[in-house]
Amino acid sequence: MTFAQAAERHLDDVYGYLAWFTSDRAVAEDLTGETFERALRLWHRFDPARGSVRTWLCQVARTVALDHFRSERRRTRREQLAAPNERFDARFAEGLSPDLEAALRRLTAGEREVVALRVVLDLDAGTASRVLGISETNCTTRLNRALKKLEEALDVAA
Amino acid sequence: MSQRDLVAELQAVRLTAPDEVRERVRLIAAAAEPTPPRRFVRRRSLLLVVPLAAALAGAVVLTRPASHPGKRALEVQPSTVYQTATTPTARAGVATGAIPKAPALAPAPSSTRVQRYGATIGLRVDSPGAVSTAVKQALRITSALGGHPASVHASAAGKTGAADLVLRIPRRNVQEAVTRLSQLGTITSEQVDIQDLQAGLDATDRQIARLQRELAVLRAQPQSTARDRAIAALTAQVQRLQRGEAATIRTAQLATVRLHVATPPPPAPARHGHGPLHGIGVAAYWAGIGAVYAVAFGLPLLVLCGLAYLLVRALRRRRVDALLSRP
Repeated sequence: MTFAQAAERHLDDVYGYLAWFTSDRAVAEDLTGETFERALRLWHRFDPARGSVRTWLCQVARTVALDHFRSERRRTRREQLAAPNERFDARFAEGLSPDLEAALRRLTAGEREVVALRVVLDLDAGTASRVLGISETNCTTRLNRALKKLEEALDVAA
Repeated sequence: MSQRDLVAELQAVRLTAPDEVRERVRLIAAAAEPTPPRRFVRRRSLLLVVPLAAALAGAVVLTRPASHPGKRALEVQPSTVYQTATTPTARAGVATGAIPKAPALAPAPSSTRVQRYGATIGLRVDSPGAVSTAVKQALRITSALGGHPASVHASAAGKTGAADLVLRIPRRNVQEAVTRLSQLGTITSEQVDIQDLQAGLDATDRQIARLQRELAVLRAQPQSTARDRAIAALTAQVQRLQRGEAATIRTAQLATVRLHVATPPPPAPARHGHGPLHGIGVAAYWAGIGAVYAVAFGLPLLVLCGLAYLLVRALRRRRVDALLSRP
């Protein structure tokens, strides 16, 4: 599989993952481009024996997203702006009920990330844990906690 | 809402990348033709193979038997000594591995001048019995030529034997003696020393003549105690010189022939562990020593590095968790 084929096939997955992770579609668009630029540079390191292309691209996307979060935190500190709530004005996924979207916004980035990988992208526990760099148990625990949080938030809203 | 409904709703949502993003990614992918993935990077393999090959080659070169100067000298030593004591004739035999029985090359002594003649012959025979036989024949030859043995030392131990003879042979027969003695075995060395004594004797003659002239002058003087004392001193000096001259001539009448007869030296004990795989064995030995040192010094370092790695990873993970703990 060439890089172009891999990019074409998994672009939506990477974009979706980043959109859920950052909860900001505009940021996700930028990070998606950055992810594929970095992936192209690192393509010679990709080893099919160690995982699928989708898993590898998600790992690259996660690194890019973490760099983004770090730079955002530095910028926030520098400008002393506490809450970047302005970016949540737009909906990041069509088809979600307003209650579920509100509940999703209460999740942390780490919780949204595991939901995106396990539920939206439908990765198995092993693959998702490899992307996150944590154990499978930890990954499952984090997912259950996130879903429980969502459930409680939806119950409260109801 | 149950978790199942929740998951179903989340899975129903499919985010699709906008066309701008898709176009941008296509441009990125088309910008450079990516190289195919390599499972084993060549540079990494070189990092492992090159030092290993260099270490192996160095060990083999350093541990080759030829690279041990001490051992080499030890191996060559017998033949070196052999060659230094070997005449040109016999040396040719050494080169081919078989020493022929060559006729002795003793120069003839001068019949008109007084010379001190000495010869040294080294012979090799096959067995201790042959040493004994050669000694007996040498003594017979010496007697037949009018000489006599000055000293004889013979010894035998096991399969080896040796004899050293010092023979005094009339100078006129020394050439024949050297020739006949040389035929008692295989020549391993031969040396002839000729020292001319005639010049010293001529000087002594001139000194004696001068002293005798002085004596004649003294005897012509009127008799006195001082004259008699001087005549006695000169006379004693002349007599001493004449005795020394006579002794020199008498000594030079007989040549000294030193004969060394011996069996071949016992074969050198076979060396062990110097076969074609010796270098590899020694290399493995040093590699083992290196491995022990590497383990002794490298293991604690490795453990420290591992602990540092775990610590850094834990810190990094904690930072990431803190980073992602915000909504």
